[in-house]
Amino acid sequence: MPRRTIELKAPVPAELAPELSSKIFFVSEAITDFRLLFDGEAVAAVELEFSAGSSAESLAEQLHHVVEADILSQRSPAAKVLWEHPASAPVQEDVYRELLGRRIVAEVGEGQISLGSPLLELMDMLDERFAAIVRELGGRQRRYPTLIGTQTLHRCGYFSSFPQFVMFVTRLHTDSNEYRKFAEYAAGRESIGDGLAEHFGNADYCLPPTMCYHTFHEMEGTRLEGAGTVVSSRGKSFRHESRYHRTLERLWDFSIREIVFLGDREFVRSKRGELMNATMRLVESLDLPARLVVANDPFFGGPRTGEQIWSQRMLEMKYELRLDIEGGRDLAAGSFNLHETFFGDTFDITVESGENAYTGCVGFGLERFAYAFVCRHGIDPDKWPAEIYKSAS
Amino acid sequence: MADDIIAIRSFVAAGVGGAEVADDQDIFAGGYVNSLFAVQLVMWLERQFGIFAQGTDLDLGNFLSVERICAFVAAKRAAADTAAVSSLR
Repeated sequence: MPRRTIELKAPVPAELAPELSSKIFFVSEAITDFRLLFDGEAVAAVELEFSAGSSAESLAEQLHHVVEADILSQRSPAAKVLWEHPASAPVQEDVYRELLGRRIVAEVGEGQISLGSPLLELMDMLDERFAAIVRELGGRQRRYPTLIGTQTLHRCGYFSSFPQFVMFVTRLHTDSNEYRKFAEYAAGRESIGDGLAEHFGNADYCLPPTMCYHTFHEMEGTRLEGAGTVVSSRGKSFRHESRYHRTLERLWDFSIREIVFLGDREFVRSKRGELMNATMRLVESLDLPARLVVANDPFFGGPRTGEQIWSQRMLEMKYELRLDIEGGRDLAAGSFNLHETFFGDTFDITVESGENAYTGCVGFGLERFAYAFVCRHGIDPDKWPAEIYKSAS
Repeated sequence: MADDIIAIRSFVAAGVGGAEVADDQDIFAGGYVNSLFAVQLVMWLERQFGIFAQGTDLDLGNFLSVERICAFVAAKRAAADTAAVSSLR
């Protein structure tokens, strides 16, 4: 594979280096590997490895654009830790390798992993604990279809904020001639090939990147009673994570337990706080090494990326629960978010006074939570703490 | 400084839609303003007072009230003056 070192037009400060690393594979599919080259405290250049036949010049141009628009427009965010739980023992190593070796997980595609016992039971037990918290908050459960309307995601602002993650669902043109042509195209081919796209019909639906958009869409035009309401759902979510997929940490296809709050400002803020407190108690009882930090969403590609990130952090609209895993890493297993009245405005969801509702949501990544749990407590259920088996009544 | 506080009061008053707010009143806790205003406020302060906010500057505590904003601007200017003097030595 060819390699090229691209000197950056302006150095990227060290504190933004993780942000840069998290975007390079989204610069182009042609990039197969990369390395940041530091000069003192800042990234001065990026060494790219890319597929043969790609133009190093155009990759450099794209990289410069991303660095300027999406990285340097950020303002070196200050780290802020709100809470920490140091576990009574360190996490274990080689856990993922053991999961693979014992066929508890199998890598079946890019960012796609099949799971078996005892991870499945663990995910269900963890989810039941989250569901119990929802019940304590007076929430109700919903189950949504997998497909979400492309127009719904558009109204949610998803395409201008996170275009890199979108996964469209398509189908063939509804036309007997097309079916015939497609059948002819497919017949006798060993590999289905790149000629598929010309047979596709529309992209009216997407795979959902998270559950809360279903909730807002379903509640369009609703006038809420009392101070507000809590709605929770569990479902599969999908994000195109490019080459960033890794173990159970970052999947293209994963499970979320999501809790949405809709109501007046005070209701939404207090519910987020109650859920954060309940989560911290749960993490302590499971003795998982963890911290709660101010965070931001992975905005990308929009004209206001930098602004969106620093304002989200400044106003503490997003907190992440980060759990330690093997290899000295941690991952975000939960997030606690406020949206002001954006979704109330967009979907005409109002409170009793007639004003548009505030909303917030909390999401837990079940595979991530389970992975962090087995990193701490091991794969053998007999050695898991009794707390995980406690009935969450 | 007197001109500064007048300008800041005026910007904040426009942001809260004419509601009366005391200099020490938390405009964010009261729900008077949204995140868009926070962005506009920081950008305006930078243009108006020739300062640049980043890292720990971007703490909401610096922008909660007219008083806090004035203190933040004064501190940024003092830091810039100190840096300028140091560079002359």
